[in-house]
Amino acid sequence: MIRPLLALFLIVPLAGCASMLSSATGRLASDLSDAILEQNDPETVEAGAPAYLLLIDSLIRDNPKSEELLRSGAKLYGAYAGVFVKDADRAKRLTDKSRFYAERALCRHRAALCDIGKRPYDDFRTALADLQKDSVPALFTFASAWAGWIQAHSGDWNAVADLAKVRAAMERVVVLDESYERGGAHLYLGVMSTLLPPALGGKPEEGRGHFERAITLSQGQDLMAKVEFARRYARLVYDRPLHDRLLNEVLQTPATAPGLTLSNTLAQRSARELLKSADSYF
Amino acid sequence: MRNWIIPGRLRILLLAGLLLGAAPSRALDIKIATLAPDGTLWMQEMRKGAEEITRRTDGRVVFKFYPGGSMGSDRNVLRKIRAGQLHGGMLTGGALSDLYKDAQLYGLPFLFRSYDELDYVRARMDKTIAQGIEKQGFVTFGITDGGFAYIMSSVPNRRVEDLKSQKVWAPEGDDVTRAMFENLGVSPIPLPLTDVLTGLQTGLITTLGATAVGAIALQWHTKVKYVADAPAMYIFGALAVDKKAYTRLSVADQAVAREVMERAFATLNRQTRIDDRGARDALRKQGIEFLTLAPEELAKLRSAADRTTEQLGKKGAYTPALFNVLQGHLDSFRRRPAAATR
Repeated sequence: MIRPLLALFLIVPLAGCASMLSSATGRLASDLSDAILEQNDPETVEAGAPAYLLLIDSLIRDNPKSEELLRSGAKLYGAYAGVFVKDADRAKRLTDKSRFYAERALCRHRAALCDIGKRPYDDFRTALADLQKDSVPALFTFASAWAGWIQAHSGDWNAVADLAKVRAAMERVVVLDESYERGGAHLYLGVMSTLLPPALGGKPEEGRGHFERAITLSQGQDLMAKVEFARRYARLVYDRPLHDRLLNEVLQTPATAPGLTLSNTLAQRSARELLKSADSYF
Repeated sequence: MRNWIIPGRLRILLLAGLLLGAAPSRALDIKIATLAPDGTLWMQEMRKGAEEITRRTDGRVVFKFYPGGSMGSDRNVLRKIRAGQLHGGMLTGGALSDLYKDAQLYGLPFLFRSYDELDYVRARMDKTIAQGIEKQGFVTFGITDGGFAYIMSSVPNRRVEDLKSQKVWAPEGDDVTRAMFENLGVSPIPLPLTDVLTGLQTGLITTLGATAVGAIALQWHTKVKYVADAPAMYIFGALAVDKKAYTRLSVADQAVAREVMERAFATLNRQTRIDDRGARDALRKQGIEFLTLAPEELAKLRSAADRTTEQLGKKGAYTPALFNVLQGHLDSFRRRPAAATR
């Protein structure tokens, strides 16, 4: 009947990279990731990121058992593919690696979770139910890398079918620690709840609740949450006043915020594009 | 999104042209509603086609889309078309048969056994169906596959008898599905599409008919464990545009619109076939079991389907003579040596 809408999981899953490592390796990874997150010129990041990806690869080679480094690798490959890579084949390759690192990180975190993604839906949910708050970083990274991978592989129906598992994982994150990564799980759930219009059983109001919670949890600093709220919810329900209000707020808020400058700069670009195309959409 | 910016700008340019007295006539907006969410392949193809038409008619023809069911159900869309608020809609089989009852024929239960049969019949009858719809005042640009619906369930239905203990969903207002299940001795539970996932989750329903793509897109696959592997119903749709609006276009512009839209829908038809195959494979990979029905069980289903078809015919739901033509095509396909092994 229809191929579900999976356009652009353009959420920048960069924050909080590698901050836990105490070694020189950890500091290097952490400093670099901070430098990326604080950058207000996306083109610099776009040009420089491939070198950092190679660096992360080499750090992981030296420390193949480091959950933190594996998570950093997963996030950076995922973010780079989601934000900067337009070529479909490259996006597939890069998200393959992001997902691979994220799976290894989850496996390092707890051996019982090593093959969790391959389990049928009901078994997958049962396994999630056992997890506690200490699993949130590994689980969130795993679920967001998987979401990015699905986005890049959306021509594959088996990938699309797995979106239900990503959703279940994000729901578990919300139960365990909804404030993790400034409410990032809510942001994903907001996007996933607004993929289908009400006429097809979608529940946009659920999505709205998630978007609003993400905005609250980031104290309004994460501008991407407002952009996605406008792009997904306001457009889906044809709420032009809300759409324009959110996007204008995004443009009027300074992009500079700890750990969010890059993401906010990109959010402001998207806001401008969305406002520009609003007349032909509404 | 970038795709929309261009026509927007074009229109501004055209408007400017009009103010200067340069453009010969005002652009003609054709407003189209569809259930397909924005960003889906359907919308991408339709928007791409619409942009080409606008470009090639020098901006005289502009399509405006209302995706994602924002104009309501198929039947609401038809009402709005009749009231002149819309000019067309991407309609599914049920709504097409509201326009022209014989569009129902393709959607009769257990009619087609394979895509080969379907293609054989469609090659011989699509034109008749399109002409029938056109006589009712609507122009179409080709019928598009939605795949075959199968009986899916959370417990195995290996025998027709098993269905009797199931809670079976029938889409609200879908007389064909309801009659079919009643002929199998089952009283189906009518629910709107929007309540099906919750119904599956709470156990209110355990069995339903769905296409593989539909089951995944609507997440029903998380609750379904078995698929009875015999096509239960052909799902299809078509873009129907009010002829009164369409004929306001010049003959040359109509030719452009037809050429582009027919091409777009042929592309969609090919792609949905690929998607159907991919979605079936995905259901298997998700651990859903495809049950091969025993010949005697299949025979029971088909005989219930025949009774349903006959009853519908008696109620005047389709033209018996046209059904006989369709059945004749099926018979000649099934008599072909290559088909005998199917």
